[in-house]
Amino acid sequence: MLPSLLAIEGADMGIDMLALTDHNCGRNLPAFAEACEIVGITGIFGMEVTTLEEVHVLTLFATLEQALSFGEYIESILPKIFNSSRLFGNQFVCSVEGEIIEEAQLFLYGPAQLTFEALIDITLDLDALVIPAHIDRMANSVMANLGFLPDLPYSAVESIAIPPKVDTLDNAVVQGSDAHYIEHIGRRRCFIESDCHGFDALRDAFQRKRISYLGF
Amino acid sequence: MLKVGQLETELGYTVFTMMEPDATTTDGYTSDLLSDVMGNAAEGSTLITIQAHKNTVAVASLIGMRAIILCNGRTPTEDMVGAAMKEHIAIFGTDESQFTVSYRLAKALGKV
Repeated sequence: MLPSLLAIEGADMGIDMLALTDHNCGRNLPAFAEACEIVGITGIFGMEVTTLEEVHVLTLFATLEQALSFGEYIESILPKIFNSSRLFGNQFVCSVEGEIIEEAQLFLYGPAQLTFEALIDITLDLDALVIPAHIDRMANSVMANLGFLPDLPYSAVESIAIPPKVDTLDNAVVQGSDAHYIEHIGRRRCFIESDCHGFDALRDAFQRKRISYLGF
Repeated sequence: MLKVGQLETELGYTVFTMMEPDATTTDGYTSDLLSDVMGNAAEGSTLITIQAHKNTVAVASLIGMRAIILCNGRTPTEDMVGAAMKEHIAIFGTDESQFTVSYRLAKALGKV
């Protein structure tokens, strides 16, 4: 999915704030940032990191630069396995115009050599937001892979079902589309109430649990 | 060595998809961490797991596995079955645990 199409489709659907969180890679964020600016929505920059336990965790950063630097770090601690594009698809890095600039060679589905707890610590030390992803899914989640949600200082947790069917330990709960294809953009989303904008608005809404959902 | 079809006829596992019952399997590998499977499973193994989604098929195909046995009553997603048909990998299901399936497969393969 082209990063610019993500921004365009998001804007068309009336989404104000949209995060791109590729698996273990930040290389499409610059094109996404540019596209968000062009279409007039607020881009949030992050990654969906795979921990050593193969749990998926969303990390969101205050600036594009921070996200890019974290992306480089995560790629540096991925297993040195090359991607098979036939089996797992291409890993293109694109410009805002949709031209292919390069293809990430490492297998981006692989786990970063960081435990779940270490990832939470490192991300919070960077003043970023950290959100265990799709905690109620039967694969690549805290519930599926760890068996429970450890009591750690998350920024929020992401649940597919609202209300969540698993114990969220009183964390703020967000809903995301986990869009891997263009038709999935905005299939799940949530609303926040805040006095500020952008990344700070997210942090503020998570802290105050000012989040609501479609249909509720 | 076993034929993939024998996982149904001799071990009684439920077939979700099986394009080539005469394909052979020579070993087994039991794991629920796909990165571990990628790093350690041998070609021709049958994968014993609870990971019932399409990435399991991609990993199995990468290694040259011909069969996956889903344990504890897990059932494959639709796209997992589609991917397995494309890659000619059989998927079986059972209520047995990974422990039991590992033992029964090892026994059938003459490894224990």
